[in-house]
Amino acid sequence: MAGGTVAAPRGFRPTSGLLLVLGLFLLWEASARTGMVDSPNWPPLSRVLVALVRDTASGEIPMLVGSTLARMFAGLAAGTIAGIAVGLLFGASTMAQRVLGPTVELIRPIPIPAVIPPLVLFLGLDNGMKITVAAVSAFFPLLTNTAQGLRAVEADQIAMARTFGVPAWRRLFRVTLPAILPYVMAGLRVALALALVTTVVAEMIAGEQGVGHYLVLMQFAGRAEEMYAAVLVLALLGYALNRGFLWVERRSIAWYFATGRDG
Amino acid sequence: MPYSPGAAMRPERLLRLVPGLIFLALLLVALEWAVTTGLIRRALMPPPSAIWEVLQDLVTSGEVLGPLTATLRLVFIGFGIGSVIGIAVGTAMAWWAPAYRLLEPLVEMVRPLPKSALVPPLMLFLGIGDAMKITSVALAVVFPVLVNTLQGVRGVDRVLLDSARTHGWGTGRALWHVVLPAALPFILAGMRTSLGLALIIAVLSEMLTGQGGLGFLILDMQRSFLIRQMYAWLVILALVGLALNALFAWAEARALHWQTRNG
Repeated sequence: MAGGTVAAPRGFRPTSGLLLVLGLFLLWEASARTGMVDSPNWPPLSRVLVALVRDTASGEIPMLVGSTLARMFAGLAAGTIAGIAVGLLFGASTMAQRVLGPTVELIRPIPIPAVIPPLVLFLGLDNGMKITVAAVSAFFPLLTNTAQGLRAVEADQIAMARTFGVPAWRRLFRVTLPAILPYVMAGLRVALALALVTTVVAEMIAGEQGVGHYLVLMQFAGRAEEMYAAVLVLALLGYALNRGFLWVERRSIAWYFATGRDG
Repeated sequence: MPYSPGAAMRPERLLRLVPGLIFLALLLVALEWAVTTGLIRRALMPPPSAIWEVLQDLVTSGEVLGPLTATLRLVFIGFGIGSVIGIAVGTAMAWWAPAYRLLEPLVEMVRPLPKSALVPPLMLFLGIGDAMKITSVALAVVFPVLVNTLQGVRGVDRVLLDSARTHGWGTGRALWHVVLPAALPFILAGMRTSLGLALIIAVLSEMLTGQGGLGFLILDMQRSFLIRQMYAWLVILALVGLALNALFAWAEARALHWQTRNG
């Protein structure tokens, strides 16, 4: 064996990997059709796809996805704003970090599904609770990245703006925020993935809304085709959101990538 | 956030914690006051002192041990299995091009899927016992570890490998003594992400199966309106999260001591 690290094969060509995926799909289909796996929990892939197309055409799945996404983005927006605000405070003032830091660090490691029961008490089962769950999960990555970004760029650029007498408020929006944008975007990417997961988790545990609830409902009802269709929808959603984000990131901080700090 | 647990707790480090601890204490006093004066309804939030009493009972009676070990067992076994698979497959994909071509499309397809969505299908196949929960946790753990291992092993300096080969080292020995140590910071970063995920999925699967462990108890107490107990178990879970993070940070600092020393 030649050994060593090998560069990733670039560009599209039919590789063994795509054949493997195709083979696994065929195996799924065949195992369900020929009775190799004879179980109501194991419908053939084709029937799952039929259910997916049918429920998409009927508008049921688009409606569920829409309501899940609406909650997710509302929570993401709230969590992002709060995370950036507290991150700026922590980055700008060591005292603020010392006073509030330990409290934040006590809350951070709580696994998010566990905050759902108390939130249900305060906010009920519907939108308010789920948006809050998504916001809490988005808050921490943005807080960390904003504070780190601020410390990383502080010295040069902000001091320069101060030297030129740029007023504080203008400095924030014209110098500080653009300068730390790459850090914020990195945090936002993590937060986006987290917000989708936590919104779906909240839907699974409480209330009767969105793709998460649909998934659990179909499992209880023993409607395996619809359940797998919901899993496929979530996989596509996760993939599309990540792709979409990369696209936005490339455009919003093109200067960052242009200066060769790719990564 | 970036605390260095490897360093000794020198007096000035302890002193830095003081403002944060004072704030935390004030927060608890304020909460106690808000609840006793009726500003916050007792049905939503019992006074911290009442939660403290329940906590004491749970600990002194030993009642805490059963659920605590149940959840920790899930996390540790799932985390262990997932990490080993992630490191093995990640290394194989980075080291051997055919493995990369074979598995890359499959990994990229499964990775963006919110792993929480896999809990309901897994329940259909594996039931609601430990097998299902451990599988769910392991699945969530695999991907961050795999992707980071892949990056880490790819980034290993070729000169290191060449010199290992010059000394007549075989592939296995070079992997174990050169490649894995050099990739360790990446691998550990992936494992740190995965540890948080492991706890999240463990708690979620306990909630969805309605069985055993801290996750189930928190949800069950809320549904039974045993609010003080719910908060007490939540505090215990938060401490578990905190302890796991601290433990990992400690292990990471020990494993990477050579790296931090070199700057």
